[in-house]
Amino acid sequence: MRKKALVVDDNRDNLLLEKDLLEVAGFEVLEAENAAGGIAIARREKPDIIIMDVRLPDMRGTEAAKILRQNKETRDIPIVFVTASVMAEGREEIKAITNTGFIGKPINTRTFAKEISQLLSEFSNILKSQIQKR
Amino acid sequence: MVRKRTVTRSQEYSESIINTVREPLIVLDQDLRVVTASRSFYDVFKVKPEKTVGQLIYDLGNKQWDIPKLRELLETILPQKATFDNYEVEHDFATIGRRIMLLNARQIQRVLGKERVILLAIEDITERREIENGLEKARKELAATKISEDAAREYAESIINTLREPLIALDQDLRVVSASRSFYDVFKVKPEKTVGQLIYDLGNKQWNIPKLRELLETILPQKATFDNYEVEHDFATIGRRIMLLNARQIQRVLGKERIILLAIEDITARREIENGLEIARKELETIKISEDEAREYAESIINTVREPLIVLDQDLRVVTVSRSFYEFFKVNPKETVGQLIYDLGNKQWNIPKLRELLETILPQKATFDNYEVEHDFSTIGRRIMLLNARQIQRVLGKERVILLAIEDITERREIENGLEKAHEELKELAAELKRTARVKSEFLANMSHELRTPLNSINGFSEVLYDETFGPLNEKQKKYVNNVLTSGKHLLLLINQILDMAKVEAGKMKLALSGLPMKSLLNEISLLVEDMVSKKKIEMLLEIAEDLPNIEADELKVKEIIYNLLSNAVKFTPEGGKFGLRAKKADSKIEIVVWDTGVGIAPENMEKIFEGFFRVDTPYSRVTEGTGLGLPLSKKLVELHGGKLSVESEGLNKGTSVRFTLPIVSRKVV
Repeated sequence: MRKKALVVDDNRDNLLLEKDLLEVAGFEVLEAENAAGGIAIARREKPDIIIMDVRLPDMRGTEAAKILRQNKETRDIPIVFVTASVMAEGREEIKAITNTGFIGKPINTRTFAKEISQLLSEFSNILKSQIQKR
Repeated sequence: MVRKRTVTRSQEYSESIINTVREPLIVLDQDLRVVTASRSFYDVFKVKPEKTVGQLIYDLGNKQWDIPKLRELLETILPQKATFDNYEVEHDFATIGRRIMLLNARQIQRVLGKERVILLAIEDITERREIENGLEKARKELAATKISEDAAREYAESIINTLREPLIALDQDLRVVSASRSFYDVFKVKPEKTVGQLIYDLGNKQWNIPKLRELLETILPQKATFDNYEVEHDFATIGRRIMLLNARQIQRVLGKERIILLAIEDITARREIENGLEIARKELETIKISEDEAREYAESIINTVREPLIVLDQDLRVVTVSRSFYEFFKVNPKETVGQLIYDLGNKQWNIPKLRELLETILPQKATFDNYEVEHDFSTIGRRIMLLNARQIQRVLGKERVILLAIEDITERREIENGLEKAHEELKELAAELKRTARVKSEFLANMSHELRTPLNSINGFSEVLYDETFGPLNEKQKKYVNNVLTSGKHLLLLINQILDMAKVEAGKMKLALSGLPMKSLLNEISLLVEDMVSKKKIEMLLEIAEDLPNIEADELKVKEIIYNLLSNAVKFTPEGGKFGLRAKKADSKIEIVVWDTGVGIAPENMEKIFEGFFRVDTPYSRVTEGTGLGLPLSKKLVELHGGKLSVESEGLNKGTSVRFTLPIVSRKVV
């Protein structure tokens, strides 16, 4: 079964690039250009992974992630932040959220989809052990 | 018998004077044993009388007074000169910590014995120095941080105005740029007739002093500073004055011209007192020892202290006063001795608080210390004074006398207030600097983000095209899209390096220290440049010492340094040339040299290569290759680790070697 990935980025070019790369790698790709739209799609479609920009027009990607973590149906979806904010200060707010990854912009197109797939399998292992603990 | 009692009483009288003054004072005999010390000495140095009197000065308080400079003063200088002034001594006391003291001493003939005694006054100037240093430090910090010119000027002027000493700032042409409030006050000149004027023309050319000309025009250009030049001059407005001049020639913070800072201290009064003392001392020596002279001894002490001192009888009438009292309150002996204290100088001493002290408190307690009295005197204006009093038995009579010491703390209070204000200003400034730093850091973060976002598209789409993910390209299309990609990657490298430079300069670059296996790390990086080497027909030589130790450093940054230097060597070495790397242990560091036989560096460019964006023109390297930031950034990263980086080249086409060190154990706390 094809894995479902949701890409949230307000820059349409970046959105298109990531979508292309993920589709070539066999993902089914959903798109959103702001956090609110992303959250709505996540609740409706329950993607396997969310690829999220940090600076979004309506709120920070990390704030959207916190909202997703509060809802039972979306709290376990892994989120990979793809952001041009690569200064060390930006990393802290990401680390504070569970099941998240980080890829800096500009992305490496040759490894991007591979990194996402790899993170996805790491997260599903973590998730399994978390569910067992519960 | 009578004589003996007199002697004892005169000693008591002298001691009570000593105890009334606030400066710590200590009296030593010829063998440097303590005869007596003032109350304030015990207070300040936290020692007890029973452990002090009779002791050798060096043995006091667990030998903490055994200070080499003090020994020199007491044993070498004093026997030759009979007096020394303002010797500065810094010492770490066991009880009160590190202190800077100003020592003044007089060797005088003891009136009733034959031996000589030494009077040593100790002034603790630690705090004053700290404040001075604090201001100096603040000034330097300020110069280092590039705040706006206006703020820097305002700040400098606020310092100038806070200082008590008259201070004047001159430009290169010796015209007045600015002068402190105290300058205007002391020399009775107006700002509008001062600023912009040639210093010699100030106040009707009264500053046209030959010695000052010599200092400013001859000495200063050669030395950039002079200290404690004594100049005596008869000023039209304020009469004959002796001044101590101190000057600094400094680079104006944000401008290019130099300015001269001239501090002027009026030491006329101090000199007069010193001369008075010297005369008194000489008079003392010539007088035969008698009972009467016991009183003179006491009075000589009265006259030795700088504080105004007044002796009253039981009825509060003046028996005698110190010279400094006449000077300070501008009264003369005729209208003073025999008068009721309240009637002095047109009843200006009729102060309710003083009445209370003398009539109520003193009869009950026989002593009072540090009563603060503020009063508006008709002759000398509003003054804040600290009063200390002792009620004692008179030496040669039966009645009691009152010894009253008056310390004028008006200026001290003003300085304290000024300092408080300066301190507040510094605090505000520090907050402002913090805010500026935060704004700068936010700007960097934003810039980095804004530049990376479009680069993500440029590099990403051209890479996808080049990889022919969505269909084949013809040869020309493929070549062009590769050009876009190469330029995009170059731009990204540039952004990263600029950001790193800015971070290092803002002190925001943090090191992630770990143990680095240097031998394998060097081999690993040399493999990275191998690709470039094989394309170019040049030879690489690695010489890594067997005993090269592991070091504690930031792995990514060390790799970046070495990669930068090796790729520079490859870039600037023509075909058929050689380059290489030597690494060895050198004491507590490792030393790495990256050398090449390439284009070298002309001597005139040696400085420029560290300025950033400078690239040596070479037929072997395209201008687009490299950012011109690799070397300066590497130098900064080496220094951040506590190492040093230097570049040597015999000249053009003579090759280059870059030598740098990294400490084996990092000194930096991260």
